[in-house]
Amino acid sequence: MTLADYLPIAVMLVLAAGFVAVSLIASRFFRPDRPTPEKLDPYECGIVPEVEPSQRFPVKFYLVAMLFVIFDVEIIFLFAWGAIWTELGWFGVAAVAIFTFFVLETLAYVWKRGALDWNVKRRARYIQPDVQEAA
Amino acid sequence: MLVNQFLILAAALFSLGVYGLLVRRNIVLILLSVELMLNAVNINLVAFESMIRSADATGQIFTIFIITVAAAEVGIGLAIVLMIFRNRRSADVSDLNLMRW
Amino acid sequence: MTWEIDYLALAPELVIVVTLLVVLALDLFLTRPNKYWTATAAVAGTALAAIPLVILAVEGENVSMFEGSYVVDEFALVLKGLFVVSAYLVLLLSHHYIESERFYQGEYYFLLLASVLGSLVMASARDLIILFIGLELTTGPLFLLAGWRKGDAKSNEASVKYFILGVLSTAILLWGMSMLYGLTGEITFAGLATATAGLADEPAMIVAVLFVIVGFAFKISAAPFHFWAPDTYEGAPTPVTAYLSVNSKAAGFVAFLLVMYLALPELSEIWAPALWILAAASMTLGNLSALRQSNIVRLLAYSSIAQAGFMLVPFAAAAVAGTNIEEGFSATVIYLVIYALMNVGAFATVIAGANRTATGDIDGWAGLGKIDARLGVLIGIFFFSLAGIPPLAGWFAKFAMFRAVILAGGTATVVLAVIAAVNAVIALYYYARVIKAVWLDDAPAEVPARAETPPSVSLRLALLISAALTIVIGFFPAIATFVGDASRIIAAGG
Repeated sequence: MTLADYLPIAVMLVLAAGFVAVSLIASRFFRPDRPTPEKLDPYECGIVPEVEPSQRFPVKFYLVAMLFVIFDVEIIFLFAWGAIWTELGWFGVAAVAIFTFFVLETLAYVWKRGALDWNVKRRARYIQPDVQEAA
Repeated sequence: MLVNQFLILAAALFSLGVYGLLVRRNIVLILLSVELMLNAVNINLVAFESMIRSADATGQIFTIFIITVAAAEVGIGLAIVLMIFRNRRSADVSDLNLMRW
Repeated sequence: MTWEIDYLALAPELVIVVTLLVVLALDLFLTRPNKYWTATAAVAGTALAAIPLVILAVEGENVSMFEGSYVVDEFALVLKGLFVVSAYLVLLLSHHYIESERFYQGEYYFLLLASVLGSLVMASARDLIILFIGLELTTGPLFLLAGWRKGDAKSNEASVKYFILGVLSTAILLWGMSMLYGLTGEITFAGLATATAGLADEPAMIVAVLFVIVGFAFKISAAPFHFWAPDTYEGAPTPVTAYLSVNSKAAGFVAFLLVMYLALPELSEIWAPALWILAAASMTLGNLSALRQSNIVRLLAYSSIAQAGFMLVPFAAAAVAGTNIEEGFSATVIYLVIYALMNVGAFATVIAGANRTATGDIDGWAGLGKIDARLGVLIGIFFFSLAGIPPLAGWFAKFAMFRAVILAGGTATVVLAVIAAVNAVIALYYYARVIKAVWLDDAPAEVPARAETPPSVSLRLALLISAALTIVIGFFPAIATFVGDASRIIAAGG
């Protein structure tokens, strides 16, 4: 790989940076700009904010992150298969089908358990009968 | 062949990971440190693979498995973080001192 | 391109895979009162997995698959048999415990079976990737199971400590493995064994081997890398502790021994002294700490650290002396098998005893033998066996250990043998302390004469099986020698 092969990447980088710069500068010229102290305050339902909002994310983001990480990475085995799938033939297809079935069964499990529901109340309905004694 | 540079990078990342794991008190940051260590191993393997060029890309296959297992471990780690956070409202390991180490 | 896959040789693993998928599916569709079916399915599946094992053992053929990376030989079969039997016993212990305290049930059995699957894979692994997958599959689910008492702060702590140390040791181990691969270009054990010849003076190789040893030492909780074990054992639910100290420890041991014995025999001058130190330190630190424990589970935790030291003794001694290494290896495997069987029984008595007296303190067990004679006798059997008193199984383990050490010969070996002998006496003291409390001390008045909940059928069955095995092996050590002989027919693969 010579340096010239990296040229498309460089062009891409310049284009991306350029797009960001142009849109930011253009909006600066076109938008009205009349700041008042009220406008600069963080918005909190129209009430004057008293304390800084806490920096914590709701716990459900962690749950989503956890599931995403696991299901996302399972795909990596398909890459290895994809690299030599012609040589593996139907044996490979069968093996990947079995693997996919495992992933789908866990997905079905996660789904039925309500971990994919964003609405906590509904999730609680699924899990409640099984909830262990909380602290 | 450029292999030493990669090994030094990997060793540095691994040491950073060990340092972070020993010093950090927040479980999420400990998880990040572990990821750093495992990815240092990945760099090692891929660098060695590019030097050895074995017939069936052994080093890269090993890396794929490490990436997957690392993801599974982060999943487990986050689950444990959630459990602790629900019980104690904090993810600080220095609170976990009921039994002495 | 196709591979010859011998599905019969893979049958035990396949049975466990199907069982755990069935358990997960069952758990989704069963409502609360019917969840016990998941336990039934798990127990039945584990028992089924023993059938192909027996068929394979009768056929007695060595099967080597995937270019020698996955081998089913007599050694693998014996250890798979051990893993299946001990998993079966742990499942029996779990059943009542998990049901009675409102735990998640289906997931528990799913994770436990996943861990069993990992240990089965590990017994057959003959290359670093498969070994690593097996090891992670064995320990990964246990991070979660250790914290299964979700509301309990101690259990949370057990889970966190086990997890952090577990992933740290994995990372260290992998670093060592990546260096091994980089220096030799091989990952199969057979390939490594030839490629490492003459590399014992290479500094990078020394570092790689030491990293691998430290990684494994964490996994088998050998001193001085043992400090996570007592806390994790105490905090985890007791059946999980039994599994941790029996199955997962044995699996880690098997992986450790396989790497040293099959993959790195040429480098024994690097790892033999390290194993010697690990063995001596584990025995001494484990035993001395066990003396001060008042909680029975913590006592067993330190005792299992010490036992890990005893297990390492024959192999380390033979490797240091450089003679009769085969003898040392087989003595270590004999010790491992016997330890696993009697320790699972000891944990079964702990569950029964805690159920009966509602405490895990040794003092709280005072007079237990007078209230419940059968339980008292069982406690006597397992703890005396752990101490190595004839005619129980434990004595033969110790006998095989000392025999291998004497065969090895040499000064360093004799020193190790002396350390082991002193430690065996110390161990006798704290095991006997439990038995003294149970049989000689007077029961406190408030202990009711009859148990509120009698021990469940599955717990009784587990106690019966492990007690029978402990006694039978003690009287007929030929069974254990068979195990040792099998470990001599170990195929390097490739």
